[in-house]
Amino acid sequence: MLNVKHLSVRIGGGFNRPGKNLLTNINLHLGHGEKLAVLGANGAGKSTLLKCLCGELSDYQGDIILDHLSLKFWQGAERARQMAVMPQKVELAFPFRVDQVVALGRAPHGDENQSTALQRAAMQCADVWHLRQRSYSGLSGGEQQRVQLARVLAQIWLAERNEQGQELPRYLLLDECTSALDPAHQHSIMQRVGEFAGRGVAVLAVMHDISLAASWADRVLILRHGEVLACGGVELLADAQLLATAYALEAPLAQRYAQQNLGWMQA
Amino acid sequence: MPGAVIRLQGPRLALLQFAAVRQVLLFFAAAGLLMLLILLSLRTGPVELNNTQVLQSLWNAITFADIQGQSDWVVRELRLPRTLLAVLVGAGLAAAGAVTQGVFRNPLADPGLIGVASGAALAAVAVIVLKDSLLAFWVAIMGPLALPIAAFLGGLAVTLVIYRLGTRNGQTQVATLLLAGVAINVLTGALTGILTYMADDQALRSMTFWSMGSLAHGRWPEIAALSVCIILPLCFLPRFARLLNALLLGEAVATHLGYRVQQAKLWLITAAALMVGAGVAVAGMIGFIGLVVPHLLRLLIGPDHRALLPASVLLGASLLLIADMIARTWLAPADLPVGLVMAVIGGPVFLSLLLQQVKHSRG
Repeated sequence: MLNVKHLSVRIGGGFNRPGKNLLTNINLHLGHGEKLAVLGANGAGKSTLLKCLCGELSDYQGDIILDHLSLKFWQGAERARQMAVMPQKVELAFPFRVDQVVALGRAPHGDENQSTALQRAAMQCADVWHLRQRSYSGLSGGEQQRVQLARVLAQIWLAERNEQGQELPRYLLLDECTSALDPAHQHSIMQRVGEFAGRGVAVLAVMHDISLAASWADRVLILRHGEVLACGGVELLADAQLLATAYALEAPLAQRYAQQNLGWMQA
Repeated sequence: MPGAVIRLQGPRLALLQFAAVRQVLLFFAAAGLLMLLILLSLRTGPVELNNTQVLQSLWNAITFADIQGQSDWVVRELRLPRTLLAVLVGAGLAAAGAVTQGVFRNPLADPGLIGVASGAALAAVAVIVLKDSLLAFWVAIMGPLALPIAAFLGGLAVTLVIYRLGTRNGQTQVATLLLAGVAINVLTGALTGILTYMADDQALRSMTFWSMGSLAHGRWPEIAALSVCIILPLCFLPRFARLLNALLLGEAVATHLGYRVQQAKLWLITAAALMVGAGVAVAGMIGFIGLVVPHLLRLLIGPDHRALLPASVLLGASLLLIADMIARTWLAPADLPVGLVMAVIGGPVFLSLLLQQVKHSRG
């Protein structure tokens, strides 16, 4: 499981400038098979939180505990065999083919050439199997996003086992992974990710679209100005008052969103 | 779901094997080409030699037998060192080019841009011009190796300065780095210019020759030193091939995939600086190989560094061998600077590649 305790991130704070708190005292628990959506307005600290969780940012106070061990003590390669991270946008410097990009997901395991069946399954899951021979750079934004999803799914498609033969937990972190997708793909992809969670993978998704979050998540974490505004079941998203505070929405608009979210939850 | 998919379909498997076989064949072809070029290079020159003589002399050289006759001497003391020098320098420059382009995720990140060449040039020119005054002590300590060692250290120092300037909080900003490279290159260029202005006729001559690049000065001691500086990094590079592939998706993604990116980048840049600095130190400035060879190969075999790095080594060596053969036969008995020949070949090749790519991307 993933435990975040009193996490704070501060930047700047030079000689005569005040620093800025990007995150203040975040507490979070993510268990196996859970689907957690992280929501909040622009600049609320969602991406910073994700960066801390995936080891990209290590200059923080507090602690992040991954399977009983502080993230700081994890070896990068070991962490990568259990935790996959999908950034919002990935641009390629040189033109790899789609299947080569997906194969990179197996780099932490070192079995790019032996795990083709698994890569194929991941590509089919993200609906990019038909694009496998295309050049990544020539794809549309949405297609590129699906290819990246296939890559991260391939990375943790099978659970690693420890010496005793027990399956090690897996984590999937997504940063607005549906931002460039059409509605049909948004829902089918999130459904696939949900099925993945059903196999015991802990999924944390930073999301922009609150109705998509309402239709997908088990739990939500709502951030505001780098602090936790609310954390709990997905039914929080039907609370108009909360939405109004979180997104600085006017009351009637918040009401409408809350109504809509309720619809999504019941669907 | 995962259990149901462990099955590879026939056609796909065949395609995979086909691609792998093609790659292996290409490698053998490239290695064969290099062998042929080495033989050709040993035959080419004012003294006519046939294959048997060349092979016999090669065998004598490998077994450390005494030199027997003129042809044996020509091969062992003139052509073999020069050929080996071309192979080593070409391989090093091309591999360094592939590495820097990969690390900085930029097809224009020639080793020249990160200051290796200009730093080496400045140090070398300083030694040539100031060897009787300010740097007399250096020449006294280092003896005949004063110039190559200074060039190598200069290249490494300038590269590290540029790398430091481009790195903030452990993250390399490629744009800053390249701009810092431009600025520092201008500065070292100006210093080199000032030194040139101070130089006397004799120094100017040796400087001009050196700044255009030439393989004429390689003797066995230099080659021994050079081979260490180039072969050692080359042996380590395959370990970084996967990381370089991951790095193409960005430093963040490479971190997510579990790589220690900052540390690896420092190793890779040092390796590139070592190879280029050593090459420049012995053979002077030879441009374009580091830029053109990886670029060309990416069009042929794709950007996978597991294939790209070894292929760059083979093709870089072959290309410099060809250029050197042209350099010493075209206007014989004059020995053209190989850097000039390389520029004459490389410029048009690069332009045509560029135009082809533009045409291709337009449709």
